[in-house]
Amino acid sequence: MAEAAVRGRPAPAPSGAKTLLRAENVVKYFPAGLGATVHAVDGVSFEIREGETLGLVGESGCGKSTLARLVTQLIPVTSGKIFFGDVELTKLRGEKLRQYRRQLQMIFQDPFASLDPRMTVGDIIAEPLDNFRVMRGRKRNERVQELLNTVGLNPNFNNRYPHEFSGGQRQRIGIARALALNPKLVVCDEAISALDVSIQAQVVNLLEDLQHEFKLTYLFIAHDLSVVRHISDRVMVMYLGKIVEIADSVETYSSPKHPYTKALLSAIPVPDPKIQRHRRLVELTGEIPSPIHPPSGCHFHTRCPIARLPAPCAEKEPPLEAKGRDHLAACFFSSDV
Amino acid sequence: MPTPILQVRDLRTQFLTDGGTVTAVDGVSFDLFPGESLGIVGESGSGKSMTALSILRLVPDPGKIVNGQVLFHDQDLLQLTGEEIREIRGRDIAMIFQDPQSSLNPVLRTGFQVDEAMLAHGKSKGEARARTLELLKKVRIPAAESRYKDFPHQLSGGMRQRAMIAMGLSNAPAILIADEPTTALDVTVQAQILELLADLNRELGTAIVMITHNMGVVAGLCSRVLVMYAGEIVEQGPVEQIFENPQHPYTWSLLRSIPRVDALRHERLRSIEGIAPDLLHTPSGCRFHPRCPFRIDKCFTDEPRLEEVGPAQQAACWVTMERARKEMGADGLKDIRPGAASGVRPGELD
Amino acid sequence: MAVTAAAVVVRPITPVQASLWSDAWRRLRRNRLALAGAVFLVFLTGVALVAFVYTPYPMAAVAVAAPYSGPSAAHWFGADVIGRDVLSRVMVGAQISLTVGVGTQLVVLAIGVPVGLIAGYFGGWIDSIVSFAVNVFYGVPDLLVALLLVVLLGHPGLDKIIIAISVTRWMDMTRLVRGQTLALREREFVEAARASGARPIKILFGHILPNALGPVIVQATFGVPAAILFEAFLSFLGLGVPPPQPSWGSMAADGLSAIRIAPHMVIAPSIALSLTLMSFNFLGDGLRDALDPRSRR
Repeated sequence: MAEAAVRGRPAPAPSGAKTLLRAENVVKYFPAGLGATVHAVDGVSFEIREGETLGLVGESGCGKSTLARLVTQLIPVTSGKIFFGDVELTKLRGEKLRQYRRQLQMIFQDPFASLDPRMTVGDIIAEPLDNFRVMRGRKRNERVQELLNTVGLNPNFNNRYPHEFSGGQRQRIGIARALALNPKLVVCDEAISALDVSIQAQVVNLLEDLQHEFKLTYLFIAHDLSVVRHISDRVMVMYLGKIVEIADSVETYSSPKHPYTKALLSAIPVPDPKIQRHRRLVELTGEIPSPIHPPSGCHFHTRCPIARLPAPCAEKEPPLEAKGRDHLAACFFSSDV
Repeated sequence: MPTPILQVRDLRTQFLTDGGTVTAVDGVSFDLFPGESLGIVGESGSGKSMTALSILRLVPDPGKIVNGQVLFHDQDLLQLTGEEIREIRGRDIAMIFQDPQSSLNPVLRTGFQVDEAMLAHGKSKGEARARTLELLKKVRIPAAESRYKDFPHQLSGGMRQRAMIAMGLSNAPAILIADEPTTALDVTVQAQILELLADLNRELGTAIVMITHNMGVVAGLCSRVLVMYAGEIVEQGPVEQIFENPQHPYTWSLLRSIPRVDALRHERLRSIEGIAPDLLHTPSGCRFHPRCPFRIDKCFTDEPRLEEVGPAQQAACWVTMERARKEMGADGLKDIRPGAASGVRPGELD
Repeated sequence: MAVTAAAVVVRPITPVQASLWSDAWRRLRRNRLALAGAVFLVFLTGVALVAFVYTPYPMAAVAVAAPYSGPSAAHWFGADVIGRDVLSRVMVGAQISLTVGVGTQLVVLAIGVPVGLIAGYFGGWIDSIVSFAVNVFYGVPDLLVALLLVVLLGHPGLDKIIIAISVTRWMDMTRLVRGQTLALREREFVEAARASGARPIKILFGHILPNALGPVIVQATFGVPAAILFEAFLSFLGLGVPPPQPSWGSMAADGLSAIRIAPHMVIAPSIALSLTLMSFNFLGDGLRDALDPRSRR
């Protein structure tokens, strides 16, 4: 296990690397009463490569939480397909779909709400094992203790209850639960957002170590771009239900090709007064539009500093296409960014 | 040296719970100078929010302020009557909170609620309305006249927070206390609000006390900062110095555990081990010692006091980073484990 | 830091293992009225059990004392209109009240819990049917339903009465459980259970029900005295248990006409009934406070 405090990121996987999960034109609409629909996810396509950490960032209404639930099929798609390996997940129902949960796990945001307060920690962690009748008795208990140990908790805590632990410790319990079945893909839905800053670092390090040890693939969803940049190999930026940019994490931050990404980056405060005082904020006009009435053409055109109106930005939707090596963006004027 | 407009001396606020007494604010003292922007930074249990609430005597049950002085223009706010402190609140010292959704009454129009803040302090309806519109424009709410008539749920989160700021500034207070005002907002909106606050601070000369857990926010907005841990101030000083040369191991560790968006290559985060301190059973001696890599024997038994460690910079530590660098090789430290650098009972949590 | 080095992140924040139930128990113990109620109920249950094997006089034995005679050393509660020992009859009456009270709640739980869980969790047409049924039953007056049932089910008897009362009471429990299920269904730990592959049955009985138990227990506890009172009322009207079975209600009815000369005939069963009802209510109050996760005193 790598001890080094400095660890170079592996070179970005070439596009030929094995794809673990692929989404094709996934759409999710929710009814919003009185005939209106919320365009939560409005046609996204992407792939997650085996062994990588794909970060997903965006602000309110971008659809990232909905996408997390679509990837794990906790909610069905309105249209579009999701492939896990060669299997079309979106076609599976009932028991067949349930079986796939062994490989597709999720870590949730709220450490206080994601653990059943009436169950012991041991039972919580073993629940995936119980659901699939994988192990019983002594072997089950051993596995629980092994998992507790793996996430840095005392193995003797299996008889305690969630309310006896701190937020960071409960998040570790959630991670142990997600690992119980040795999944291939783990979706981390804002897994560290509710934790204190110093605890966030602990859990981020833990997630990285676990990835290395168990060859996991992560979809890491967060609104804190600093953390996403740190932990991810590639980053996807979403805005109002659409993907606006996907690229290697270093490149996304050093040379964004979408004006929204650039604005987002300029807004993140840097903990260094000499730098922070001199940064220029890219001002976005107006507010985030409602996902019930997304703007026509490019969803971002109403706030974009470089939009050419009305054509093409208000009329045509820019396709998500390559702007560089393994760097996709959905903008007609990437060169101006 | 200008005279401070606010002087907090030895403030102590406690909560009586089932399990015992929790001292949320334990002997906090600091000054606030006119027109400055002071940051109070800390994590859960640090006492930063409770300090602010104590200043305005808004501590919720079962909390009580049990000791201290809060001198505002030579008046001790803790000794005033209920009527007198209500005069001060909203007029001389205003406060805005994290969640504008719950701070605004959903059944009253927004403009009216801003008016109310002024009506309570003696203005007439006409004056209040005119001033409200002026303020809404000042906090950069577009189409202020129609927004005035809107209900809170018709405004976005960012606009609600701007309305709250307008409310806070309506009586031209000397001090605006902002308790995590941007934590619940999107990043781009947060940046705009912070810019607004910085501009207002410059233009109006209102002193801002910014309570946050985000070091980046402090770096951008504040000129001085107090770092709190387990109910106490562990370090304070000018922002540049604190970020460049933190002297308290907690501050130092915290800065090293934050991922930076402008980092050029991937370095493993140096996380602080252990969990937030249990305020019911505070550690003996220095409260940070169970997690400190540089602890010495004295840290287990004696509580350090704030002492000068640089120009206008104070830290409460027996060791300080200066010594930790010279004698314990702090800069080369790979992981922030208790006792790791000093060799004193390494790895033990207590 | 090696992943498996558990040495550092070790302690939970409370030193003592504490489940939410033991916490509730502790809170309940501190409530004097609830404890008093519980004590009385234990005593009453004891009396009811004892009555199976021993009562001072057989409860149907006529003329063991002078009719209408008041309390005396031989007959602590006096005798009734045909000379039966009131104490013995009150003791047996306890059996009846407790059987009806607890029996109805068991039936109500058996119906209300599964129906509420399923309606709340699956929604859709199942929920529509259940809600419709609930509303229909609410629309019909309790007494009418009970009367109809007692008449339709033929010979009155304890079991018929239990069924009759349950039919008028199951809706409250169903609604409660449905509401709890609707709320709990959206909680993150339920989502997490789904994500980890739990089947709906497991979610309903392993996650939702345990977290809904608090209000359910409280409701059932309050339901007992309501049922006992209903039965007493039915018996008072002559529609309850047949003579010579001594329901407290029928005893009070019998004694009503003689209330001026022999008040003990009404007072004895009435006090027994009141104490029983009060005890259940105090206990129910105590349970509600103890089980409410928000009241963390």
